[in-house]
Amino acid sequence: MNRQTFMNRFRNGLAGLAPKAADELAADYEAHFADGAAAGRSETEVADALGDPDRLARELRAETGLKRWEAERNPSAAFSAVIAVLGLGAIDILVLLPILLGIAGALFGFLITALACLAAGAVLLVAGPFWVIGAPTAAIVLAGLGLMFAASCVGLVTAIVSIGFVNALVWYGRLHLTLLKPALEPQGSAT
Amino acid sequence: MVEAVQVQLKKGVLELCVLALLSSADAYGYEIASRLAKGIGMGEGTVYPLMRRMQADGLVETYLVESSAGPPRKYYKLTAAGRASFTAQKAEWSQFSLAVNEILGGSQ
Repeated sequence: MNRQTFMNRFRNGLAGLAPKAADELAADYEAHFADGAAAGRSETEVADALGDPDRLARELRAETGLKRWEAERNPSAAFSAVIAVLGLGAIDILVLLPILLGIAGALFGFLITALACLAAGAVLLVAGPFWVIGAPTAAIVLAGLGLMFAASCVGLVTAIVSIGFVNALVWYGRLHLTLLKPALEPQGSAT
Repeated sequence: MVEAVQVQLKKGVLELCVLALLSSADAYGYEIASRLAKGIGMGEGTVYPLMRRMQADGLVETYLVESSAGPPRKYYKLTAAGRASFTAQKAEWSQFSLAVNEILGGSQ
């Protein structure tokens, strides 16, 4: 493999990364080829010593996704972390996929339920006293509040379980960073 | 088995080796990569993500030096935190390797 092929495959593999980060990474490897040539090594030699460009790029991209999840806990970061782990393309992750989808579906169901109950509680609280004739106002208001409280609890538990679920997936994904593991993990936390 | 042990061993000392290299002199990526590849058989491609991580952790910083041929070269140098981390890790390593050697010596 020559320099051009290596760099093309590496750049393609980095697609989806922030352009600035991808440029900097690519510049490092370009400089490495230039210095290798200056030291009298052939492009093929240098490319062989660098390793598989697809695998390098894939693991770098995965790590970026996982890092983002650790820095900001929001749904979009969670999504990119999940994509990053799947992007590693390990065969056991594919086997795991149906189970993951099942869990994700169940969590989504709980979330929708919580939202629906919250809305129902709010409606009952505000409009209930005018609609329901005969029942004491206080009872209806309390029922509305209770429903909203229960919905919040369900929503909270769903959120906690979801975060734990993504964390587990991130941990699992890290096990598959075979090539870059020593480079990407701080020594303190390496086992 | 031997291979797995080697991977585990290298993993623990990779950062220490880079810190040691840079403690004697600033270096650019290719120098670090080829020294590590020759010395402990690291994949050269692994070095750049490692340098990036160490930079993010505040252990090293970079500066550019004009080179006679081609674009300016990116040199890495230790920060104060990097120097402190090197001293600490080096002491830990000496202690650990001494203990391991003692046990290995005793097993013969």
